[in-house]
Amino acid sequence: MSRLLPLLVGLIVLALWETSVRLMQVPVFVLPPPSLIAEALMTDGPQLLDALLETLKLTVAAFAASFLGGLALAVLFVQSRLIERSLLPYAVVLQVTPIVAIAPLIVIWVGVDHVERAVFILATIVAFFPILSNASFGLRSVDPGLADLFRLYRATGWQRLWLLQLPSALPALLAGARISAGLALIGTVVAEFVAGSGEATGLAWRIVESANRLEIPRMFAALLLLSLTGLALNAVIVQIEHRLLRRWHSGHGEAA
Amino acid sequence: MLVLDGIAMRYPGGLAAIDRVDLRIEDGSFTSIVGPSGCGKSTLLRLIAGLASPSAGAITGRPDGAVGLVFQDATLMPWADVENNVYLPLRLARVSRAEAKPRIAEALALVGLSDFAQAYPRALSGGMRMRVAIARAIVTRPRLLLMDEPFAALDEITRNKLNDDLLRLWREQEITTIFVTHSVFESVYLSTDIAIMSPRPGRIMARHAVSGPAIRDADFRATQPYLDACRAVSRDLERAMAVAV
Repeated sequence: MSRLLPLLVGLIVLALWETSVRLMQVPVFVLPPPSLIAEALMTDGPQLLDALLETLKLTVAAFAASFLGGLALAVLFVQSRLIERSLLPYAVVLQVTPIVAIAPLIVIWVGVDHVERAVFILATIVAFFPILSNASFGLRSVDPGLADLFRLYRATGWQRLWLLQLPSALPALLAGARISAGLALIGTVVAEFVAGSGEATGLAWRIVESANRLEIPRMFAALLLLSLTGLALNAVIVQIEHRLLRRWHSGHGEAA
Repeated sequence: MLVLDGIAMRYPGGLAAIDRVDLRIEDGSFTSIVGPSGCGKSTLLRLIAGLASPSAGAITGRPDGAVGLVFQDATLMPWADVENNVYLPLRLARVSRAEAKPRIAEALALVGLSDFAQAYPRALSGGMRMRVAIARAIVTRPRLLLMDEPFAALDEITRNKLNDDLLRLWREQEITTIFVTHSVFESVYLSTDIAIMSPRPGRIMARHAVSGPAIRDADFRATQPYLDACRAVSRDLERAMAVAV
């Protein structure tokens, strides 16, 4: 029942939307009724899906890069406070700089002929920080008793990292991954907007194109696809989280 | 024989956690260190384990090989099942899993958990988790077992059961055991020797030897030697507290 509730809310909103737009005769270029959006989805679907696939490829690549890069940097930080103190301010600078502001630079450096490279870099910058900060926090949140045991049994640095710190960091790391996956998608779309030109093939460019041509139902259809993609990405990570943590973390179902 | 000679532990800033502790621990003995909270019992145990270095004094006669250590909390790895938790000390010593298997099985049998090798800590009761921690501590066949208030968080019935199991283990494996507790009754029931500590800074105030039958069980708690020892240890513990106040 509780699973059906969001669906029910959605249906009610759609029904209200459809009837009120028709009753008040709102122009289609302001707010199209859901029926028209569905129609656009049918006719422009294949083209939009192609664009979505391009966006999704870059999103996944950016997420993977930020996950590996963030984790690697966090491991480095945990090994040495000195490295952390020297590098962390720059990571923060990257995080607080709006990508819209640095997009032109990145495009000039790598994206003049390859827009997708600029988009990839920009999205990676956006998605990077949650992984870095959550992984650093997780790697440090080791049970002090277990840390003592590892010292007692003279564990090597690798053993401590592999058998103690990484497993301890897993819940925080996965929470970071969830935030980061969403940001990777947002980052990709925003970067496509600001870096995109005629040769951009992602979904953002289709939205810009639709807006320019006043094809508002098509624009809404693209937005819908984008939301569904975000939801799907989130669901995938939640599934992975559940599978990895159900045995030992509270709130992830019963132990096997 | 394990000898602590003039051990002191000061924190940076000069505050002394323990001061001039001299202690001799016979091989094969079961020694309890009894004292109020904050008297430095745990610090003393960490020093014996080699997890910290004393500010002064020396510890000699530590047996070769790994020392077994059990905390008040079971401190298991929640992401690993019982078998892998017990495997940890051997794994860190690079013992292969195939070689470790029979030793893990033996350790689990000694604590009565043979049927729970595949269980995860989350699915176990507090008493069972503590048994896993004990199995992990003895899987390396240590000659010295250090226990820091291991049963303090357990209910009395579970604690009594674990006390009996621990005594059996100590007798059969002949492991020199140092057991930190704040319970007079527990210390008398378990020990051959008792050291009483005073707080701030921690010092050994008195030693007691407990005479009792070789194999102790619940009946021991009704005998005169047990009651006499409890009374004597309680009296000394009160004196130790009075010194501190």
